[in-house]
Amino acid sequence: VSTPSTPPIAHRVRAYFAPVNRAAGTPTLFDPAQLGRFPLHIPPAPWIDLGWISKFVRKSGTKVDALRTGAPAAASAQVRSEIEATVSLEFETWGKLQVALASGSQQTNLLTTAAGAAPNGSGGVAAAPVPLLTGTGPASTATTLNVGATAAAVFTVGSLVAVDVDYTGQLGYIGTGVTSAYVQSAQSAAAVANDINYVRRVTLNVGVIAAISGGVLQLAAPLPAGVPTADMQISQLVGFCDREGASFFQEWSALFVLEGVQGDRILYHYPRLQSMQGSAEAIDMVAPPLERIRLAGAFRALPVKDANDGETVLCFRSYLPAPLRDI
Amino acid sequence: MQNAKDTFYITLQSRLAALNPARTIVMRGVTRPGTLVDENELPTAFVPMDAFRLQWTKLQVDTASPLPWIAMECSIHYATDGSAGNGGMDRGRLLAAMDAELSAALAQHPRFVPKMNYASTSPVAMSTNVFWADPVFSPATMLDERIARTATVQVFAYQEAGEL
Repeated sequence: VSTPSTPPIAHRVRAYFAPVNRAAGTPTLFDPAQLGRFPLHIPPAPWIDLGWISKFVRKSGTKVDALRTGAPAAASAQVRSEIEATVSLEFETWGKLQVALASGSQQTNLLTTAAGAAPNGSGGVAAAPVPLLTGTGPASTATTLNVGATAAAVFTVGSLVAVDVDYTGQLGYIGTGVTSAYVQSAQSAAAVANDINYVRRVTLNVGVIAAISGGVLQLAAPLPAGVPTADMQISQLVGFCDREGASFFQEWSALFVLEGVQGDRILYHYPRLQSMQGSAEAIDMVAPPLERIRLAGAFRALPVKDANDGETVLCFRSYLPAPLRDI
Repeated sequence: MQNAKDTFYITLQSRLAALNPARTIVMRGVTRPGTLVDENELPTAFVPMDAFRLQWTKLQVDTASPLPWIAMECSIHYATDGSAGNGGMDRGRLLAAMDAELSAALAQHPRFVPKMNYASTSPVAMSTNVFWADPVFSPATMLDERIARTATVQVFAYQEAGEL
């Protein structure tokens, strides 16, 4: 015996992030048939919870034209002459990923500067990085960084750290785990002054130190790139910076979930979303003169091929009905 | 709609009791969690302190839906005189604690629960869920040593076939 279907009612929208392999042009695909009912606070790997969002608006820019024949002309068929989809939203939190995605361009980490560094808008020359210890003490993991007791003394609980490889002239996409910047050419490499810290300056592989014990830095959450490799080093940072006018386009695989109050669920999966505006904020007046500042992002969907039939699509919308409902 | 009212009450009572098991009241000689529904108790002028009293007030039914949609307003009254040991000077703190408990219980996820029929000794799960919106807290009112507040919550449910 089933119950009449009712329209979905949801409190809020939850957003999830997964990386796109920019070099290969491969997004992270979400399979709603296998994973659609995941608990909202425990997304399946490699999806990362971006928290609640508001003012989630989807727009279809797909154009449907009529093919007209006869006299007088009448529509005899239709054709899609253009497909386009955009998404706009406001993030409820200012996490590293949220800020980066909403920035519209490359985001840099404000690395702790070396003594006497000349002032610079995205942070001056960075202090020397701290290497990870190998062969001495416990192996580093996605949540623990073994730096040894001496090096650990320069960190404090609450410090922000970027963990990534040295810049040694790499060209193309850089950033471990999540692509975070693009070095176009040797000239570009020269422009970054072959800065050994450049990858750590742009990486999204960052964490917060929650505890320090025995020369090991315990992170509050796993690093997005997982277990660090032996050639990675650690730089401390004080915050994040993005630049209006910078050239890079952030791209991510996105999943938005509306959990209906009757046990139904709507999932919107955009395998490839690219920023389509510069960094922007939305201001809510809390109570004069207090204002709440939310990150406002706008994204354009890029196409993927559905492996089931080769269709070119921008977004997958899935609906999981409530139990025992008419369909 | 009685099932929706009962379900919301039992849900709120159990969540509040889990947050603060020490908040209890004695009613008719029985110690029980400090949440009650006025209309389910004996008429009395006695107002229990440091407890949550639910009153069902407004009701709206929308029949232009595959299932009739019910919106009910639940007013949750609570008050405290403070503790005797502190001469009542902690009444603001105790009211703040009740504010926090009620807010946390209502904000806890999920913010929907299966509608239950409590007419028999073994509750029966029904086909739809009961859900609610954010509470609206009124200004605190003070009368002599007593400080009180009312929170209003919109509770929603669908009226199922054969349900009265």
